[in-house]
Amino acid sequence: MDPASARYTIRIKGHLGATVLSAFPALVSRQHGAHTVLTGLLDRSALYGVLAEIEALGLDLLELRQLAPQRTPGSGDSGM
Amino acid sequence: MDTRRLIARDDLLATLDRASARKVTVISAPAGSGKTSLLHAWAGRPGQPRRLAVLQVQRDQDDAQQFWLALLSAVRHASARTGHAEPLAATPDFNAPAMVDRMQSELADACGGFTLVIDDLHELNSPEALAQLTGLLTNLPPNAHAVVATRRDLPLRLHQLRLAGELAEIRAADLRFSGHETRELLDISGIRLSEAGAALLHQRTEGWAAGLRLAVISLADHPDPEQFIAEFSGSERTVAEYLVAEMLERQPGEVQQLLLRTSLLDRVNGELADLLTGHVGSERILLSLEDASAFVVSLDPERTWFRYHHLFADLLRLELRRVLPEEVPALHRRAAGWFVQHGQAADAIQHTQAAGDWPDAARLLADHSFGLTMDGQGQTVGALLQAFPPGADYPELALVRAARSLARGRLDEAAAHLAVAEAYAETTPPDRRRRLEVAIASLMLRLAARRGHLAGVTEQARFLASPVTGQSDEDIALGNDLRAVALMNLGTVEASVGLPDAERHLEEGTLLAREIGRPYLEVRCLAQLGFAWRIRSFATARRRCQEAIALAERHGWAAEWFIAPALITLAGTMAWTGEFDKAERWRQRTVQALQADTGTDVRLLVHIVSGMLQAVRGRRHEALQEFSTAEYLGSKLADSHALASQVTGWMVATQARLGRSGEARALLAALDDERASSGEIRNADAVICLAEGDPAGALGAVRDVLGGTAPVIGYVTLVETHLLAGFAHRQLGNLRAANQAAERALALAESDRLVLPFAMTGSRELLEALPRHETAHAALLADILDVLHSSSPPTGEQPAPPDAAELSASELRVLRYLPTNLSRREIAGELCVSRNTVGSHISSIYAKLQVRDRSSAVQRARELRLLGGGPHPLARRSPHRGDAVSPADP
Repeated sequence: MDPASARYTIRIKGHLGATVLSAFPALVSRQHGAHTVLTGLLDRSALYGVLAEIEALGLDLLELRQLAPQRTPGSGDSGM
Repeated sequence: MDTRRLIARDDLLATLDRASARKVTVISAPAGSGKTSLLHAWAGRPGQPRRLAVLQVQRDQDDAQQFWLALLSAVRHASARTGHAEPLAATPDFNAPAMVDRMQSELADACGGFTLVIDDLHELNSPEALAQLTGLLTNLPPNAHAVVATRRDLPLRLHQLRLAGELAEIRAADLRFSGHETRELLDISGIRLSEAGAALLHQRTEGWAAGLRLAVISLADHPDPEQFIAEFSGSERTVAEYLVAEMLERQPGEVQQLLLRTSLLDRVNGELADLLTGHVGSERILLSLEDASAFVVSLDPERTWFRYHHLFADLLRLELRRVLPEEVPALHRRAAGWFVQHGQAADAIQHTQAAGDWPDAARLLADHSFGLTMDGQGQTVGALLQAFPPGADYPELALVRAARSLARGRLDEAAAHLAVAEAYAETTPPDRRRRLEVAIASLMLRLAARRGHLAGVTEQARFLASPVTGQSDEDIALGNDLRAVALMNLGTVEASVGLPDAERHLEEGTLLAREIGRPYLEVRCLAQLGFAWRIRSFATARRRCQEAIALAERHGWAAEWFIAPALITLAGTMAWTGEFDKAERWRQRTVQALQADTGTDVRLLVHIVSGMLQAVRGRRHEALQEFSTAEYLGSKLADSHALASQVTGWMVATQARLGRSGEARALLAALDDERASSGEIRNADAVICLAEGDPAGALGAVRDVLGGTAPVIGYVTLVETHLLAGFAHRQLGNLRAANQAAERALALAESDRLVLPFAMTGSRELLEALPRHETAHAALLADILDVLHSSSPPTGEQPAPPDAAELSASELRVLRYLPTNLSRREIAGELCVSRNTVGSHISSIYAKLQVRDRSSAVQRARELRLLGGGPHPLARRSPHRGDAVSPADP
């Protein structure tokens, strides 16, 4: 298990307003076309917390990506 | 009453109907997909042919027992069988397999088709409960069908059902509204919208039920619906957020305030809403909200409690925190105050934690953990304990931690927490200190009982018997809970060392428990009461045991460990009065109920009763083994127990009767003087003398007993003494004295109609020689001889087993696993067959043995000696002979 945090981008369908964004205080949001992209440094449990919020709020999750420039391509997520 | 506009989604209802031909239907779709509405529509449809039990899982349900009790109560409610049983009560000791068995038999008993509906199953956070539910779902009785609804796929291991074609699934895509259904919803809600507008709405919401329903609320009184749709579909905002904001904006200010401020409650009523909003009239608003939308739902037929749709509530909560962040802690505090006042401790603690008032939350949890645990919410206590910030030190919690360690059998850990709690108690103001001290002393008693270190504990704890004084009603209620537990713990320890105060304290505990409505405590006190009376009065002991067992049965606790003292005491009293077969059945029920937590003294009694029952059937080797085990268990207790000399005496006497007088003498020689002079040991000495052909020695041995100077456990010892004296006189040729001795034994035995001493000593000939005209106890004599004739040592074999041909070979194979702890799945694994096969064998075993559950099947099988044939799969836990079960090793 990787204890360190990693930077994630999370793409959600639609524009999130102030109410829904307040559920993700640790993430920075920007609008990208018809989508919202949330970015932030998360450890594993924070990541799963975010995913649970996305589920609870009925949001449409389009993409989840870990930004890990220091890793070799293909190492994918932080799961070991 | 329900004026929410639900359209009849005929296609979906038909899908559900088709699905119910299979065993299980899983509806798995995201929040707001319309799962609950669909289930409501399906369940409430006129002409629904099957009976329905509907359970909505509580938000964040951590507690397996609460889940199961809610499910069982839904089933009972639906099968209209509430009349026959007490309201379901939880116990601090949740027995999950028994609960699953009970569910199965409740479902099987409900005649006709039965559907179990479990909504919001994703809220169940207990992996154990999910695993148990998997067990239930894969072994549903033939008449039952289950529908579960969840937001996400859960680890329900249902692949076997899927492979067998017994699993139907309905997923998000199936739940989406079609264009046609969207139109229908708008029409039925009286919304005039062009075809193009309706199509746009359908497209924008993608047929998502919550989106459509929210849109309908805003559209209902909108001056320009087309304009609304155009703006909505022009916005890129997410559907739910956009529509909830629109909807809130269109509500009057008081409604907005109410929705926001009460969103932090899992359920709300008018009073609570008034409290949080600071206005009156909330109930009227809640009622009209329910009438107007599917987002507010009442929880009871009287419509006093409401809950919000989860997705809706989550959005409201976020909005509350965003726009009124400074009010949030105060709102939680107000809610906590209300829940405290209304005796709903778990909610109160949760809101106090949410307000960030950690020391207050710790104090509340310490105060209520006893009560919550008694209410069967031990797992909730665990979850609340976990919610405290790690690293922070709240000494109040030491008490809670001690109780939990104790419940899990971590005794050293419990002792350490208790030491912290004790040190902390000294620093608190006197009124609070008193309560803490009572709680600590009560736990100390439990700890001492678990460790068998009983010396001196009761003196220290004597103060427990006096009431805890408090001012407010709440203080009195807390004090009563605590006092009832304290009386139970005190009485239990006193009973196990044979102190007479036990009866008084347990009587008081029983009455108090009844008064404050704690059936669990009442059963435990009653069970211990029977146990406490076992030495002084058979009749009282028996009555108390029967009361305890009847009450336990009414609550479904007949096989729980805490009823074991009553079961074994009842077995013992029946053995004393010669009802050996009944005694054996109660003894076997005790063995089923025994658990690590059942005290050593109860296990000890189980071996004594086993020994008695073996001895009266002439199985002396087996009897010796039982008495020796009892002796060993007794030696592990720090103090000698109440029946110690009896056990030793019978062990020695049995040795002698087996012709091992040398060993018997050696055992006697090892006893200290005090023990050696007791009536029970004198009797044993007499048995040795008689076995050695020394009747004069035997008379000498019991002289002090007959003279009344030797201490005895009770008059039962004297019955035996007179009989032994009778034997000695007979051997000496003094038949007149022998008859007199037999008559004295009968006279003593008359009041309780004792039979056992006559059977244990093999007094048949002695009694038969007694001329009928010389006895004043002819009726008793006849009864005793009846018993002795039917139970006297079978010269050859035991009675032949009854015809077991009714059970098939494969049923017999399954049957032999029933006394083990293996689940149906595990049995299936052992036998390399499917769980369904095992399930159907078990159903037919139950039918053939005419029983309703696993433990009575085992009991019946034992009576019929069906368990003994052939090498047993788990030989170490099972009998080699047909009727004897060796209880688990100490």
